[in-house]
Amino acid sequence: MHSDSAPLFAVHDVCYSYLGRFCALDGVTLRIEHGERVALLGANGCGKSTLLKLLDGLIFADQGSFCAFGEPVTEATLEDEQFNNGFRSRVGFVFQNSDAQVFSPSVREEVAFGPLNIGMSTEEANERVDDTLRMLEILDLADRAPYQLSGGQKKRVAIASVLAMNPDVLLFDEPTAALDPRTQQWLIELIIELNRSGKTIVLATHELDTLANLVDRCVVFAEDHTIAAIDIPERILDDRALLRATNLIHEHAHSHGGEFHEHEHDRTHHDALQHGIGREMRALMGEH
Amino acid sequence: MTTVEVAPRTPEWLLRSEVGLCPCGCIGKRSNTGFVAKTLESATGLLHEAVFAEDVAHRPGMLQRTDVRVKLVVTFALLISVSLVRHMVALIAMYPIVLVIAALSKVSVSFFIKRVWLFVPIFTGIVVLPATLNVITAGRIVVPLGTWFGHRIGLTEQGLSSGGLIVARVALSISLVVLLTLTTPWNRLLAALRTLFVPKMFILVLGMAYRYLFHLLGSVSDMYTARKARTVNRDNNTRRGRAFVASTAGALFGKSHALSEEVHQAMVSRGFTGNPRALRSSSLRRYDIGVGAAGFLLVAITLVGDHAFG
Repeated sequence: MHSDSAPLFAVHDVCYSYLGRFCALDGVTLRIEHGERVALLGANGCGKSTLLKLLDGLIFADQGSFCAFGEPVTEATLEDEQFNNGFRSRVGFVFQNSDAQVFSPSVREEVAFGPLNIGMSTEEANERVDDTLRMLEILDLADRAPYQLSGGQKKRVAIASVLAMNPDVLLFDEPTAALDPRTQQWLIELIIELNRSGKTIVLATHELDTLANLVDRCVVFAEDHTIAAIDIPERILDDRALLRATNLIHEHAHSHGGEFHEHEHDRTHHDALQHGIGREMRALMGEH
Repeated sequence: MTTVEVAPRTPEWLLRSEVGLCPCGCIGKRSNTGFVAKTLESATGLLHEAVFAEDVAHRPGMLQRTDVRVKLVVTFALLISVSLVRHMVALIAMYPIVLVIAALSKVSVSFFIKRVWLFVPIFTGIVVLPATLNVITAGRIVVPLGTWFGHRIGLTEQGLSSGGLIVARVALSISLVVLLTLTTPWNRLLAALRTLFVPKMFILVLGMAYRYLFHLLGSVSDMYTARKARTVNRDNNTRRGRAFVASTAGALFGKSHALSEEVHQAMVSRGFTGNPRALRSSSLRRYDIGVGAAGFLLVAITLVGDHAFG
């Protein structure tokens, strides 16, 4: 199944539309190499999640082709038990909606679901569950039901359920969405650590703040569901016209010190301002 | 950076504050809770009850320490024996034992009795009541109720005896089931159903249904809270209430459909091909075997005792 010379994922001229009417991907061509960290950037509804589902073999292109590990991934090839087993154990997908991913009655059963389905024995699966829960610091939640978990805990369980299968490739859909800053930071560090151990990371996001540290390459989607640019994060972040055109930053009007003004908006601006305001506050407090 | 005077595209009325209270300062009428609110409060109560039950299930009691498979099989055997018993004395003798087990399992006895006896008279009593009358069960009238078209109407000794036996059977059966569900987390109980040869697929579907019941209950509650937050005047219009229930049901159907699709994708993504696999339970300890043996001894004593009464 695996050919070292072939790219990990090769998507060629893929088109996909929901219900045959609502276009989600239009002529997408992309290669992802082993051990890469790739971010799929774009505004809401531009096709990032659809591409991730396609890369996980959950949906199939209306037109074009998708190959993983040098082999075509289609409905027909995934019907082959051996190929399906190999593909599912090597590609893990962390969904944006943890409620959809955490479907078992308890955390332990949830995390064991994947390992058992790819043919591990109960003993081995139990060991994997314990190790994974311990690594993610949620071993005490093992017997809890999903409705007893907070949003952050559910996200950890969803990640644990995928990591327990030890996949080569990890697909994350909006991994830091709706998480508190501490959990966000924990998740970013985990993704970096997983990549250092040789795993390929593909994540969909529209957060620009952490990109430079998190990924090697960015794929920017335009709102017409095509790929607008593929480049390293530094060059993508410097291309303000591209970011504005793809709705990743926008002209923003607000007030500082009683004065309204407009400028391109991203979080960096506010961080700089808060830093400045903090300095002013400290100066004022020093005066009094 | 360009300086501008006002935020664009904001309608003028939105920038103006509006008076919320009546300017004359009068106090309005208090409104009663509508049927929608009552229904949703009950639904939220279900969630609280489940959380409470989980709390009891994690207390360090006698039944909590026992393996779920043993509890399930013994409860099943006790339920069969209760339905086979023909004398009320045997059932009455068994009830205090159940109460002692409840107390040893850190279940509040008063709560346990209330939980069972609050519903048994309502549901079983109503069904059984006609059977105690002499028009249904012939026999010696012990409580005369009057005459009807020249015939004496009253409760018969035989009717009361058989009615009492049915009520006692139902009460004891419910007590046993409540004791099992209170002292066992739902997820473990579902997993243990495999001991009774329930198909794995059925258990998987049941577990997911139980898990998503709470999720959808939260959605309904959120929808109602969102509506309530935007309801300014008294809202006791039942027609609007019905419309809300209908639209909520529609929205919920759409949500659950989308969710089910995503859940299926999440399962397929982790290698699910239609053949469910579950974690195998650990082996039984001496304590579990002891509890199981005691349970079966109780079953045997009940049946033998009942047989001895004739």
